[in-house]
Amino acid sequence: MYKIISEETDKSGMKVLNIDKSDLIELMEDYKDRKYFLSSITGVDMKDHIDVIYHLHNFDKNDYICVKVSTTDEKVPSITKLWKAAIVDEREQYDLMGITFEGHDNLRRILLPDDWVGHPLRKDYDLNKVQYVSVDRDGNEHVSFDDKEGW
Amino acid sequence: MKTGDMGVKTTTLEKALEWGRSNSLWPLTMGLACCAIEMMATQAADVDVARFGSEIFRNSPRQSDLMIVAGTTTKRMAPRLKRIYEEMPYPKYVIAMGVCVIQGGPYVDGYSVVLGVDKVVPVDVYVPGCPPSPQALTYGLITLQKKIRNETDR
Ligand code: SF4
Repeated sequence: MYKIISEETDKSGMKVLNIDKSDLIELMEDYKDRKYFLSSITGVDMKDHIDVIYHLHNFDKNDYICVKVSTTDEKVPSITKLWKAAIVDEREQYDLMGITFEGHDNLRRILLPDDWVGHPLRKDYDLNKVQYVSVDRDGNEHVSFDDKEGW
Repeated sequence: MKTGDMGVKTTTLEKALEWGRSNSLWPLTMGLACCAIEMMATQAADVDVARFGSEIFRNSPRQSDLMIVAGTTTKRMAPRLKRIYEEMPYPKYVIAMGVCVIQGGPYVDGYSVVLGVDKVVPVDVYVPGCPPSPQALTYGLITLQKKIRNETDR
């Protein structure tokens, strides 16, 4: 049985559950049985750890709940086995936040080109190193730090 | 009453061509972000840009001679934008619409935005604003027409 570390209600009346990441799959399975659907996955960089936030929605009761998991090693279990919608959301979080979802079959970048360096929504991403994207004749994208390459 | 007298106007071939070109600028629909909404409003009945001969927004670069870059150009879009520009036949012109396209605008600190589309394609007229009003874009178009006819002092 999963253990809820703390439970609170936010300003809009939504239930927020803080849980440990080892309990994540179990809790999600339980909520899936209660007809909740995955609405979104987001990540927050707190510098010493990363919060991963899942929003679930029940259409019958029109009820949103929010599940928060925090991780220090950038890894969380994947919930793609429960909801197919998580495939795209987890790829996006991997792309922009660098969170690795363990058990995801196809975890690669979705918005940025494949050889982009770094994860841009992280606090330690270096904005001074500008990267440039260029496309060759076959439509393959290349990323470089050299502003002469590309356009 | 018709008398049959006709006036004669002399001009150079070049001037006639410039006059014709400037009054039949067909824009390419290059709406990349929110500025595109204002570009559509410019084309619509209120500020009707057809008065200046630009009513047909073409979807193919091969049929158009004006590219209105309307909206944030991201780094991933820039090579594609350049390629579309290169597919347009000569003579071709570019209007940079909105501060995003001019220098980055609200996204100047971002990681993904090209800071100035003039790094990618040559720009003829800059229309500032976030977004520029349809009137401003119309003024930009008139400025471009004057530029084609060598009437501007800038
Ligand atoms: S200039 Fe303003 S309105 Fe235009 S694309 Fe940029 S943010 Fe949107």
